[in-house]
Amino acid sequence: MLTKNLSPLQAVLMFAALVVVLFPVFWILMTAIKPPTDWNASPAIWFPSEPTLVNFKTLFDPDALGEYGVGGVSQPATKAVFGSILATFVATALSVTIGLFSAIGISRYGNGSKATPLVILSGRMFPPAAIAVPFVIIFSNIGLIDSYVGLICIYVAVTLPFSTWMIKSFVDDLPREIEEAAMIDGRSKLMAHLTVTIPLIKGGLFATTMFIFILNWSEFMFALVLSYTSVSTIPVQLAKYVTATAGTLYGVQAALAVLAMVPLVIVGYLIQSHLARGMTFGAIKQ
Amino acid sequence: MSTCKLELVSLAKEYADGNVIAVDGINLQVEAGETIALLGSSGCGKSTTLNMIVGLETPSSGDILVDGTSIVGLPAGKRDVGLVFQDYAVFTSMSVRKNLAFGLEVRGKGRAEVDRAVAEVAELLGMSDRLDARAKDLGGSELQRVAIGRTLVTKPSILLLDEPLSNLETAARMAMRNELRRLQSEIGLTIIYVTHDQVEAFSLADRIAVMDAGKILHVEKSAVICDKPSHTFVAGFLGFPPMNLLRGRFEGAGNAAGFNNGAFTLPVPETPALPKGICTMGIRPQALHLAPEGGAAMTGTVVLLEPRGPESVLTVNIGPTKLKALVPSDVRLSEGQKVGLNLDYETVLFFDSEKNRSMDFQLNAGRCA
Amino acid sequence: MRIVRPGGLSNAAIARLFTLPGQVVSLLVLVMPLLVALYMSFTDWSPTHGSLFDASFVSFENYSELLVWDTRFTYAVVRTLLISIVCLCLEFTFGLGLAVLFLRKFRGKSLLFSAFLTPMMILPVVVGYIFWMLFQSNGPINQILEFLFGPQAALEWFRSAPTAIFAVILTEVWHWTPLFFLILLSGLNSIPENPIRAAIILGASPRQVFWRVVMPMLKPVITVAFVIRAMEIIKLFDEVFMLTRGGPGSSTETISLYIYKLAFNDFQLAYGAAAAFLVLLGSLMLVHLLLAPVRDQLLEGNR
Repeated sequence: MLTKNLSPLQAVLMFAALVVVLFPVFWILMTAIKPPTDWNASPAIWFPSEPTLVNFKTLFDPDALGEYGVGGVSQPATKAVFGSILATFVATALSVTIGLFSAIGISRYGNGSKATPLVILSGRMFPPAAIAVPFVIIFSNIGLIDSYVGLICIYVAVTLPFSTWMIKSFVDDLPREIEEAAMIDGRSKLMAHLTVTIPLIKGGLFATTMFIFILNWSEFMFALVLSYTSVSTIPVQLAKYVTATAGTLYGVQAALAVLAMVPLVIVGYLIQSHLARGMTFGAIKQ
Repeated sequence: MSTCKLELVSLAKEYADGNVIAVDGINLQVEAGETIALLGSSGCGKSTTLNMIVGLETPSSGDILVDGTSIVGLPAGKRDVGLVFQDYAVFTSMSVRKNLAFGLEVRGKGRAEVDRAVAEVAELLGMSDRLDARAKDLGGSELQRVAIGRTLVTKPSILLLDEPLSNLETAARMAMRNELRRLQSEIGLTIIYVTHDQVEAFSLADRIAVMDAGKILHVEKSAVICDKPSHTFVAGFLGFPPMNLLRGRFEGAGNAAGFNNGAFTLPVPETPALPKGICTMGIRPQALHLAPEGGAAMTGTVVLLEPRGPESVLTVNIGPTKLKALVPSDVRLSEGQKVGLNLDYETVLFFDSEKNRSMDFQLNAGRCA
Repeated sequence: MRIVRPGGLSNAAIARLFTLPGQVVSLLVLVMPLLVALYMSFTDWSPTHGSLFDASFVSFENYSELLVWDTRFTYAVVRTLLISIVCLCLEFTFGLGLAVLFLRKFRGKSLLFSAFLTPMMILPVVVGYIFWMLFQSNGPINQILEFLFGPQAALEWFRSAPTAIFAVILTEVWHWTPLFFLILLSGLNSIPENPIRAAIILGASPRQVFWRVVMPMLKPVITVAFVIRAMEIIKLFDEVFMLTRGGPGSSTETISLYIYKLAFNDFQLAYGAAAAFLVLLGSLMLVHLLLAPVRDQLLEGNR
């Protein structure tokens, strides 16, 4: 009864905000389907003269890319897409699995000390640059630099606080009595958790997995400093394209950017109701 | 009706384009200085009525008059009406003092005036020493006081209370009930309050308006309403336990007259002009007395005996019909035992079968042959 | 409740068992490198000098250099803080405004809600790239400016410090206002209605209701939003890397970008490590300052 309708002025404001929010998305989508002649036109072309998917093909075609060939641009994005998928999937699976056990441990058997969460939270605030420096040195000594194993290790370590804390907030929501009933049944505690706890937080686990997926897929700095030739991810490849050709490869760059963002936007909409929880370490539940 | 403080005229509220009728054209007159209770179970439309009076909801039709002037067009906050919420709705982020001062501060009153009014109300509610406490640290009855005080500061001419005692524990409830009664007599406010609890209504209100399904069924002085309900719903709702209601018709005449409810026939004393057709008979549990089996007006089987202080509530089955009677608690009866019941015929009420309204008819006193 | 079974594990043992993998990973991948870096920051090592153990110990030289002589470092710190403050204030204002609009009734609300969340779902690198494109001298932003204010209104966004910083801030605000919007809206929706009604009945105007009743109740949520965003924006890197690489000159260089350049462009790894540690210390202090008001909510709020 307190909710009123939108006033005309407010509707206009809302519409303006919507335009501002969607325009950049519109621009990248349009650029990705522009034919090469439209890429760098001046003044800029808003709607492609002939919409085409050729940019997506060029992206994976070394010969086609070679025509624009400056520096690293001649490299197709095949390896980067493969690398992103490999690193993200493996790291996400590991992070969620390890995080799941840590979460159950902390939630059900923890001593409730405030030190653990504080350490976890503080860990999130370290600038990646501060961690990246020692990583590069250590990894180059033990041969993990420019390898997916090294990249995955870092991804797991960096996202672990998020997965642990997010899953913990779901386990906390679950009444202990449910598991205890299973424990009285004579099953071991581990079995009780495997057969009772985990199925009950399925939804939460899914949301967490998607959330960690977003984090890993978006990661840029570690991939940038740990990859040379044999390892690549989409964000790194995108950065390379931009460096090498400052302003001539718009269509192909945009195509790669679209490839990078589409899965995330879909996943983001899927777990929309859990985004706030993930982003705020469970402090905001809706 | 110029002495009326508040008058509701055919007030109605519909939701969902008329598909849901929350309040169905109610009429009510409240006199200045009177306390009236809107009594009804949840969903009967009493809270919607309050919301309309205070201005949170706009009536679909009808009018609300304060001192003879319509207030329907006025926004909430300009109606000179205060409302205390069931959950108190105290501003938890503020101190008690800020809470009390809120109504005057938003009206832009001067500091000195606000301070004086706050001190006055705090004194009245016995909260002078708690003024600087934070509202989130207060207990139930203190919150209630702040909620009332916050409203009183703005000196409303009518105070509305929504289930004021239901969130309190028993002891606090008793204390608060006394407190409200004291306030009532000290300030002489016109108070309307909504409750589902008859005890609360009987102990605080001068008059009680019983609501059901969006309608006010009966408005009467609280001392009278229990004995003379004007509607079967009111009869079946008020009292501990409420009235026994038997549906049936009179048969025979003179000495042989009786009330047949299908299961049994209750002999009635010789009374001229018995009502014709089906009607409902209302028997207060107090009017039923135990009697020896032979020669009693009715006989039945004991189903349940619930002790309740000096009296017990006795439930007796007469065929499929259940009757409740109040008996002295020293009576010893066991389940399944046969008992006889007599009744005070002159207190029995009758309701017509179509409108469920009370009929202007009384049985003669006395015993039947 | 405790269940003691012969041969069973105690709760503490189970706790250790469950959290072990996580602890091992953190120890190996976070703590150990940090210790190495800490040692390194007291040496003059660089990759061309051979093994780390051969490097000479230089005590606090790197640190004093950073703190006393390295104005580029100081500027990067101040710049990051200023950008953070401006961005957070703008994001808060816009996010709150939008959240308040979303309290009203209108059609297509859930669709618009998703639409407004879109920016925060896009990866930072792509956001940086998109805005880099938008801000090109023949890009759409200049086109719109020319259309509105004539041909001389077009700017070379990345050629001067103020416009480059503006571009960075605008990008960041576009990217993360949705998070504020999301958090504040869920906060607004969970505010009980009765205090608001009570305030209305007591005669408060809509403005007074908002500032005196709603905002105080929203305060904990606002604090959480600020803390979370502050923790992230202080690390600002991806978008700036794509937009300006810190340029022109070092006028948009953030702390993270500076350390990155030190270590991976100039190969001054030891010096970079020292800078990283200073930042880490600063971040830790900032975390504790920031967390103080919401620690309980963030940690106990989970229960």
